Amino acid sequence: MKGLNQIIAIAKREEKRMLSRGLYTFCMVLAPIMAFLFFTTLMDEGLPAELPAGVVDEDNTSTTREVIRNLDAFQQTNIIEHYPDFASARKAMQQGKIYAFYYIPEGTTQLAVSGKQPVVSFYTAASYLIPGSLAYRDMKMMSEYASGAVGRATLYAKGYTEDQAMAVLQPIKMEMHAVNNPSLNYSIYLSNTILPGIIMLLIMQVAIYSIYVEMKEETAKEWLAMADNDIVKALIGKLLPQVVTWSLMGLFCLFLLYGAWRFPLNSGIWPMVLDMFLLINASLALGVFFCGLVPSLRWALSLATLWGVLSFPISGFSFPHLAFPATLKALAWLFPLRHYFLIYVDQALNGLPLYYSWLNIAIMLAFWGLPIMLLGRLRKFLLEYHYMH
Amino acid sequence: MFDEGVVVFFIIVPLLYPLLYAYLYNNESVREVPTVVVDNSHSQLSREFVRRVDATGDVNVISHCQDMEEAKKMIHHRDAYCLIYIPEDFAKDVAEHRQTVVELYSDMSGILYYKAVLSSCTEVSLEMNKEIKAALIPGATEQQISAFQYPIEYQYVPMFNTQSGFATFLIPAVLMMIIQQTMVLGVGMMAGEEREKVRKHIAEPHIIGKNPSEVLIGKSTVIFTIYVIVAVYLVCIVPLLFGLIHIWRWQTLLAFMVPFIAACVFFSISLSSIAHDRESFIIMFVFLSIPLLFASGISWPSSNIPIFWKGFSWLFPSTFGVNGYVRITEMGATLADVQHELNALWIQTFAYGAISYLVYKRTYGKQLWA
Repeated sequence: MKGLNQIIAIAKREEKRMLSRGLYTFCMVLAPIMAFLFFTTLMDEGLPAELPAGVVDEDNTSTTREVIRNLDAFQQTNIIEHYPDFASARKAMQQGKIYAFYYIPEGTTQLAVSGKQPVVSFYTAASYLIPGSLAYRDMKMMSEYASGAVGRATLYAKGYTEDQAMAVLQPIKMEMHAVNNPSLNYSIYLSNTILPGIIMLLIMQVAIYSIYVEMKEETAKEWLAMADNDIVKALIGKLLPQVVTWSLMGLFCLFLLYGAWRFPLNSGIWPMVLDMFLLINASLALGVFFCGLVPSLRWALSLATLWGVLSFPISGFSFPHLAFPATLKALAWLFPLRHYFLIYVDQALNGLPLYYSWLNIAIMLAFWGLPIMLLGRLRKFLLEYHYMH
Repeated sequence: MFDEGVVVFFIIVPLLYPLLYAYLYNNESVREVPTVVVDNSHSQLSREFVRRVDATGDVNVISHCQDMEEAKKMIHHRDAYCLIYIPEDFAKDVAEHRQTVVELYSDMSGILYYKAVLSSCTEVSLEMNKEIKAALIPGATEQQISAFQYPIEYQYVPMFNTQSGFATFLIPAVLMMIIQQTMVLGVGMMAGEEREKVRKHIAEPHIIGKNPSEVLIGKSTVIFTIYVIVAVYLVCIVPLLFGLIHIWRWQTLLAFMVPFIAACVFFSISLSSIAHDRESFIIMFVFLSIPLLFASGISWPSSNIPIFWKGFSWLFPSTFGVNGYVRITEMGATLADVQHELNALWIQTFAYGAISYLVYKRTYGKQLWA
């Protein structure tokens, strides 16, 4: 009972400290909310539409103009300008005005009519990977369509029905199913991991700050004394208000993703609530671990920063884990965000039974094993070390 | 002037982070995506289709499943990421001149899996369609068949990043972010530390009684010089080291990097005025790196960034730095082609320079210490 009272007293002290400093309000409430709104409103469209593109139509017949009108009508592409030649279109691309252009050489219509198979081409600025590949998709579809239209017209003239014509033109057809994200929504693909990732980064940093600022301000002894120098009680009391705040922020994040933006949630909300709590806990554990590793606010913060920022690429939500070199594949196990992402994929995205995620859940829980090994060290640091300017 | 914490941000992070990123994205793209096949046709034609898809570099057929349930289970256990379903009537339809549909499924935990299976299978189907048609029109030449399939042929040319590689796409942007963010953190830490020491009467402001403009010039020159060296490593040596595309003319790159680094220096000094103490500054600014990378328009296109966030992104040198550098180094843009970015960086240099001066005048001139 005494222990519980001590914890509560420390938690109350911590709450007062948090409320008296703008840093906590900024990093635990304002910064995450700003980041959440940034990503969700940035990619609100899902797929970027009306990407600026250009055309070089050296043929300039009614047929080619028709092709260009059709291309402009595609959702992802917006023809903003006609260029007189290849060189000026390329220049516009280098100036960042367009992401792609369509090139129709002189004589295209003439050659097509006489069955001599002219070649049109399209170019994308592949350095900008996403708009480049979307413009590619539209232009390819357009080209297939233009070519198919000519082919179908020829066959219809010969008395083929539509089905027969399609069977001749395209005997084997591919039908693609993007399971659980049929519109290829980029926000679903990115925000689901980036938002929790930002929480993870801030959790580690704030936890480290809140622990070692006591050393810096020489209040560490006072803090530990409130727990009879028991580091476990002292930490529980200190981290409790943070756990509560972060849990609320985590729930708000889930509300934005699955309530407001209605991203796929095939598992129901509870597995994701669990996932979020696991991430918050694993991040706190890592924060305490870095404190136990180095007796210095700045070094512990630097380690957390490096680890936190590296979490984003190594969790594999954008560039897949499958293509990593073997060492980094193994290293990825040590990042809570990697496990959060895998649980999210199994649960919210694919709606699998919870037991599919047991290994990741177990590892997330096991992150507390890291700081527990160093608690004695941390106690010693807090009682005996001083902040170095 | 220098302490170990600042050395970490000025030297160690710029040195090591690009190496880590380049190593991570070394493969540029995902190859040999594990894929399962459900072949209900069991025909020579379907086996031929699967064999050819397997032969492409992007897809690796790891297993033939009896039914969809078994295939799905493999995907759920992450043994495979894509599924190719060939219907029972596949060969029969083709033989009897009916269009047949092969269904492709991709796990959407990564968009590159989707790309891999779709492009491989489409490629194989186009090739096989051509052969099927050759059989349909006996005696036709290859050219005639091709003209029949494609009265208008097309070709696709991905420009500049010809492999559509991930490292080529992301690393240049990350390099520019590293320059700005490490500088902001290092300068902010120094300013916070000094302010703290003065507040605690550990030290006097080291420039007491000096002319604020002299202090500003001195400090900014030192940071600028360090970062010229850092930048040479990041924007010249790293791309060479990892075989990233680098078609810049050095004069163009130099003329662009000078205002970028200068804008970053004054931006960092201006921001450092709000550094209350050394550590809180790190926490407040590290997380911003992620939104700023996206605000630059390297991933989600800048043409589709809402105007409010666009305005926000214009406050940061990185937005213009990323776009200018990518176009100069990968797309061979000249200085005139990046005029817009260049102007913006010079405006930032002068605006943040003026703010820096005011900050110094106020804090040092009147010895106002928060």
